[in-house]
Amino acid sequence: MKRAMTLLLAVALSATAPAMAETTLEKTTRTGTLTIGTRTGSPPFAYIDKQNEWVGFSIDLIEQLILPSVSKKVGKPVKLEKKESTPPTRIPLLTSSAVDLIAETMTDTRSRRDSVDFTLTFFVTGAQFLVKKGSPIKGIKNIAGKRVAAQQGSTNAKIIRERVPTAQLREFPDQPAAFQALAQGQVDAYTNDGIQLAGLKAKAPNPRDWEIVGDFYSYEPYGMALRKGDSDFRTVVNNGLMEGIDSGKFFEIYEKWFGTKGEVPYPMSPDVKKFMIYQAVPK
Amino acid sequence: MTYQFDWSVLWTGQSGQWLLQGIITTLELSALAWLLAGALGILSGALRTLPIRPLRALAAFYVEFFKNVPLLVWMFFWYFAVPPLLPRSFQDWLFDHGAEFWAGMFALGVYHGARLSEVIRSGIQSIPKTQLEAALSTGLTTAQAYRFVIIPVALRLIIPPVTNESLNLLKNSSVALTISVAELTFQTRQIETYTAKAFEALTAGTVIYLALCLGIAAVMARMERRFAIPGMIARVARAEH
Repeated sequence: MKRAMTLLLAVALSATAPAMAETTLEKTTRTGTLTIGTRTGSPPFAYIDKQNEWVGFSIDLIEQLILPSVSKKVGKPVKLEKKESTPPTRIPLLTSSAVDLIAETMTDTRSRRDSVDFTLTFFVTGAQFLVKKGSPIKGIKNIAGKRVAAQQGSTNAKIIRERVPTAQLREFPDQPAAFQALAQGQVDAYTNDGIQLAGLKAKAPNPRDWEIVGDFYSYEPYGMALRKGDSDFRTVVNNGLMEGIDSGKFFEIYEKWFGTKGEVPYPMSPDVKKFMIYQAVPK
Repeated sequence: MTYQFDWSVLWTGQSGQWLLQGIITTLELSALAWLLAGALGILSGALRTLPIRPLRALAAFYVEFFKNVPLLVWMFFWYFAVPPLLPRSFQDWLFDHGAEFWAGMFALGVYHGARLSEVIRSGIQSIPKTQLEAALSTGLTTAQAYRFVIIPVALRLIIPPVTNESLNLLKNSSVALTISVAELTFQTRQIETYTAKAFEALTAGTVIYLALCLGIAAVMARMERRFAIPGMIARVARAEH
């Protein structure tokens, strides 16, 4: 059995070998295009807007920071091509070279690093709480004995159950039902990833009645994914991001999408800002 | 790559405890809802056969309104629309003391009461008119005739369709997971989330529902034999000729 597996693996590896022979930078030089995989319905990261344009925070980062960096490296203007990727398809799209870079809402995790490489973290979120303005709940410290809604089957529900067993957890299969329960007082707080809550708050009839509170009690750093072992390409992409952080352009783009007037207001906390700055290593 | 079954996820960790809690919640929910459905069903089913028009209309309204709206909608109705009608302090108390469970119980009970009502009405109507007339001619009032003659006979006749409805009620209790009632289906999903073993968790749920349903069907079959009135069915059949 084991020998058969090894043989299979060897065949699979030799089949992919020609594709791997060409690095992403060589491919970009040859074709003059960089192909990214991104979402069509994941505002404000990547989505098709009312004008039928494919836009978003992740796409702006690519167009304004990474594309110039890649163009400089290969010594000629590089065109951007966008393809749709979704959570189940993104890794296969990348490994089969159908796309060169995944720029959407992908959380960088250690287990994913077994199959792909990640760039610097370009967005940070984590589990927080949505509460009515003025609620005594200010974070995970205050939820003992309180009624807390969570998404059924989410890791957040799992963490709450383990860390605050006295919280009365109510798990709903979908976001609207959980929000309705919060609005009517069936629950005192609704927990999910902060950016999800921000999206919910922005869509609520009276966004000002709601507050997103608490430090992240789980950590979801978004990174861009690229093929494993393509370290030259990764350096070029990371340099683009670092230059953006140095020049402040990165924060302008963040402000455009997540500032108070942005698509989904989700201000960057001072901690996250510091973290972003520290990610940019010296020249 | 073939799927690697790992049945041990069903008893390692907290899974066993979760399944047990799920079974208990499902049974509690179904039993209470069944009692409510039975009471409502008998009352409205009997009212629909009475020669008193306003009562008939009231019962008909209840049955048609509640059985023709999806159960899921009733779940949301009892959980989201009813509590705001109650005083604020009572609402808070309720939300701290299993509002989800009681909303689910009312949704199931009232919905299935409307469905049971039809079964009971057909049972009553299958009893020949002469029987009611005979009862009345012995000096019983209409209410007494129903209580002592018609309903006891009708309930015996309808045991098979009632068994059906009861099993439906038990299976429909899974809809309560949409309002966060941690019943059996909810718990199997929970196991799936924690272990990423979907087939094992779903199989466990399927087998448990099947066992519960077969158990109830067996009890009802015994009851049918125990309470059968010897010769009753034949006499009814002859009377109809």
